[in-house]
Amino acid sequence: MVDSWWGDFILAAVRAATPLVFCALGILLAERAGVLHIGVEGVMLIGALAAIMGTVYGGSAWSGVLLTLVAGVMAGVFLAYVSVRLPTDQVVTGIAFNLASLGVTSFIFRLLSEDLQVIVPAVPPLVLGFGPFALASLVFTAAMWWFLFRTGPGLKLRSVGENTHAAHASGINVVQVRVIALVIAAVFAAIGGAALTMGWVRSFSDNVTLGRGFIALAAVYFGRWNPFLALGACLVFGAGEALAFRAQATGAGLNPHYYLMVPYVLTLLVVGLAGQARGPGDVGKPYLRR
Amino acid sequence: MKAGLEVRRTINLKSFEWLWETQLGISVLSLGLSVLLLLIMSLMFGAQPLHVLISLFEGALKGQRSLVSTLSEMAVITLAGLAVLLPIRAGFFNIGGQGQIEIGALAAVVVATNLQGSPAVVILTALLTAIVAGALIVVVPLVLKIKRGASEVTTTIMMNFACIQLVFAMITGALKDPASFYGSTHTIQESFRLPVFPQALGTHAGVLLAIAIAILVYWLMSRTVFGMHLKAVGSNPTAARAAGISVNKVLICSVLLGAGLAGLAGGIQAMGVTYKVAEGWSKTWGFTGIPVAFLGGNGLGIIPVAFLLAIMETGARYMQAMTGVPSALVYVFKGIPVLVFICLTARRGLYHKKRNSD
Repeated sequence: MVDSWWGDFILAAVRAATPLVFCALGILLAERAGVLHIGVEGVMLIGALAAIMGTVYGGSAWSGVLLTLVAGVMAGVFLAYVSVRLPTDQVVTGIAFNLASLGVTSFIFRLLSEDLQVIVPAVPPLVLGFGPFALASLVFTAAMWWFLFRTGPGLKLRSVGENTHAAHASGINVVQVRVIALVIAAVFAAIGGAALTMGWVRSFSDNVTLGRGFIALAAVYFGRWNPFLALGACLVFGAGEALAFRAQATGAGLNPHYYLMVPYVLTLLVVGLAGQARGPGDVGKPYLRR
Repeated sequence: MKAGLEVRRTINLKSFEWLWETQLGISVLSLGLSVLLLLIMSLMFGAQPLHVLISLFEGALKGQRSLVSTLSEMAVITLAGLAVLLPIRAGFFNIGGQGQIEIGALAAVVVATNLQGSPAVVILTALLTAIVAGALIVVVPLVLKIKRGASEVTTTIMMNFACIQLVFAMITGALKDPASFYGSTHTIQESFRLPVFPQALGTHAGVLLAIAIAILVYWLMSRTVFGMHLKAVGSNPTAARAAGISVNKVLICSVLLGAGLAGLAGGIQAMGVTYKVAEGWSKTWGFTGIPVAFLGGNGLGIIPVAFLLAIMETGARYMQAMTGVPSALVYVFKGIPVLVFICLTARRGLYHKKRNSD
């Protein structure tokens, strides 16, 4: 009995953490290349809707993933154009993008609500009850660490994030690196959205992401821009969320809405604890060639 | 070739140059482009674009009731815009407006439903409590930023969700009106509601109050020492510190003031329109404040932008009834104008940079 409670709890925590891990990996990649990825919440929302749309209209989970990837690339190209090519203030652009995608996804959802207000079939678990999204997030975390810290292109990317002008002087095309990083980051965020809707809640609703993109941001800061540490932070947040749902379900006397505050209060606490984390040197600075 | 371009611009486009050369022009241009996009999208539903536009405005402005609800909406959006504008000048991006609004409203309702006394005293106390409550909510992100260097972008968002859940917990729990089926506070009694002022217009007094505050903020930011310091801190904190300005003090003042105005926004909405805080009582005014602050640019500019967004909000349902275009179309209007605005501003910066280096 105790065993199954813990087993269920761990599964629930991982399920809640998986979307965060994908988003965190995207944020991490972008910020290692020096671009703040505040738009992650918006991309996640777009990915979440695309996953449901793809599943409904394509008829299988694969088409859901495919549409998510397409949507992620499109969002990434747009974000990269605006915040790297123009360039604009990355925070403002990210927030504006989040607002716009909240509007656009709500609009599309209303428009197609007859088709999209459904519960899509659950993605079957693969190993020990863990779904494909959870396993993939683990693989991608390891791959991201290997790429960033053990390969030449990874070193290049990190050098762009640390000091754009030094990177430029050593012959790296800063804009190109940042654009590619941001597009891949957006794809990760979109998959995070898919992991949320396809892999967990199985339906879409307005603003279904509920600030998870920002929680992932906090996880990256707490994880000191390291994929494995960020994964750990995501698991902590996932556990918080799972605990909230657990406590809410057992209804331990307290108003359920107090439990729903847990993930956000936990994030605030963690941000307070993490303190003045020093990120990559040139993160957030728009790059203009001198 | 280049000279030719120069000449053509001076001949044909000189009179329109303000459109992309000034902040005001870019705001007008991005709002215009967004409206254009809205109309093009309405074509997808087989509606006449002009008809869509007219019905939007008719639904929001025709008849006293629509006009009053549009103006009340405008008041809330104006204050929400100021709540973003003031802190951002000091380099603090207050995305926590929504939480501040909800808590401010709840605080105002608690005071107005529990306090006894003369209406003027109760109403003023309730509004002041709303301001204080809004400002209190932002203390957490503010302290985390100043003491721990945590980005307010994450913390204010987290505060939003925490506050919204807290308000839900309150209205379904401790503060619930037992007579109500849904989660809701008690209703504010008639005499403690915001009075209708001016009578001729029929709006609650909060509308004029919001406009007055917007003008006051404009004055504060452009004509006072505080406004000067604010500008200095926002554009270059290091230089401001070197010039002897207490950076943290300016930051704290502007952020508390901004959040207080968000709290007030919740207060006037609760005391002038809804008379209680119940499940689903609010719209996402806090987030609407962000485009309003950017496109408005200053206290005065915020008023017309808020008015336009309020029209979109209140006219949408009528538009759907008249044209068959889903009212959700106006959702698109929430983020697109500010995105266009940012892009245009960046392009202008780039253009000038290129021209200067040539």
